[in-house]
Amino acid sequence: MNSTLKRKAGIYALILQLVIATFPPTALAALVQTPDAMAAEERSASLQQFNEALAREDVQQQLLQLGIDPGAARQRIAALTDAEIARLQNHLDTLPAGAGVLEVIGVVFVVLLILELVGVTNIFSKF
Amino acid sequence: MRAMGVVMALVLGGCTGTGPVLSPHLPHGDRGTTVELRDTPFFAQTDYQCGPAALATLLQDTGSNVTPADLAPEVYLPARQGSLQLELIAATRRHGRLPYVIKPRLSALLEELRAGRPVLVLQNLGLRRLPAWHYAVAIGYLPDSDEIILRSGTTRRKLMAAARFLRTWENAEGWGLLVLRPGDLPSQVDPLAYIRAAADLESVGQTRAASQAYAATTVRWPDNATAWLGLGNTRYHLGELEYAEHSYRQALRADPGHLAAHNNLAMLLAERGCYPAALDTLDHALEISRPDDALRGTLLETRREILRDRSESDTSAGPDCTLVLPGIPGPAASD
Repeated sequence: MNSTLKRKAGIYALILQLVIATFPPTALAALVQTPDAMAAEERSASLQQFNEALAREDVQQQLLQLGIDPGAARQRIAALTDAEIARLQNHLDTLPAGAGVLEVIGVVFVVLLILELVGVTNIFSKF
Repeated sequence: MRAMGVVMALVLGGCTGTGPVLSPHLPHGDRGTTVELRDTPFFAQTDYQCGPAALATLLQDTGSNVTPADLAPEVYLPARQGSLQLELIAATRRHGRLPYVIKPRLSALLEELRAGRPVLVLQNLGLRRLPAWHYAVAIGYLPDSDEIILRSGTTRRKLMAAARFLRTWENAEGWGLLVLRPGDLPSQVDPLAYIRAAADLESVGQTRAASQAYAATTVRWPDNATAWLGLGNTRYHLGELEYAEHSYRQALRADPGHLAAHNNLAMLLAERGCYPAALDTLDHALEISRPDDALRGTLLETRREILRDRSESDTSAGPDCTLVLPGIPGPAASD
């Protein structure tokens, strides 16, 4: 792993640590609040965007250049837990609403952010 | 985030051509028409406080009475000598308006102006490496001279060459904010983003405003169950129980598998004293749910509590539970 990527990964790790993860509420007899009900919808919207990103040739090129196996990345994305998606969504919430992930923050940023989420060492094919 | 700045340049950059900037982003039949929202208020900024001045401009434009002096303690950070975008968004909500960040596209900005909505824009009037952040309000454009019209700083009517505006705006990641009366939708609107914005209003206690926002979404997207759920929840919290029940039923019409709507409808039915109907609703929801559904726990707990309430209640004189609430006048004409 080159030092630029290490530094970037470190920056993203810091950002994500600053984002407070919220856990699903313990079961209470109470109205299901709207944000919680939206979680599933937003999760599938996020997953769809991530998968579309990974399917792009330029993203795959970028991943290969960074020494990452795109297939392994896709598998790991598919296995993102709700908590991981929520953390990612929290971060994306600070970006302009209504803009697709790709439009706003660019292909490379998506790749790097996903790397941070999935644990960088898991999907590098070379060090 | 330096990386973000770099990729933003990649995504949005490349606007160094010498041709007109505005007209390619204007509709074909409309490329000569000027737009100027002359009635937009103006507050001259003091010191570094362009954030409060710009936000007060937009809030007053939507009928609020707030002034920059009111906003400064809310959004101005003396240590930073400026305001953060998130502070402006939070302040917008506190004043009962819905903040909506537009797509970072010139065409989106121009379209909102055409629709009569001024846009609070962040500009970097300095260099990428040495930024000079500035908030201004875009109120129009002049295609013939290729200029953007702004309320900016101490200038009521500032004309900026569109090429320069675009550069300064892109260097601020194309950040533009609409301040909307609840119930007003942007011209270019993503349903999930708008509903999320309504939910954010709801979660900071702006229940009436959130309710109006949800109501608008159910008119525009009547098959969106989440919008109906939000409408139901806000009406419930406002004490409008019949309206709330109607909304939950609409959510189930839009999505018969919506577990949260089942749960919340069951709770309302139980409050009315219609225990069998409440329990039927929950049982049906549990039946159609998957074993790993996150809401199963909530459904089961709601069921337990309803059984408890029933056993403690006087069931001798119950309400007429065969009555499905008649069509209540509301935003949706159907039902």
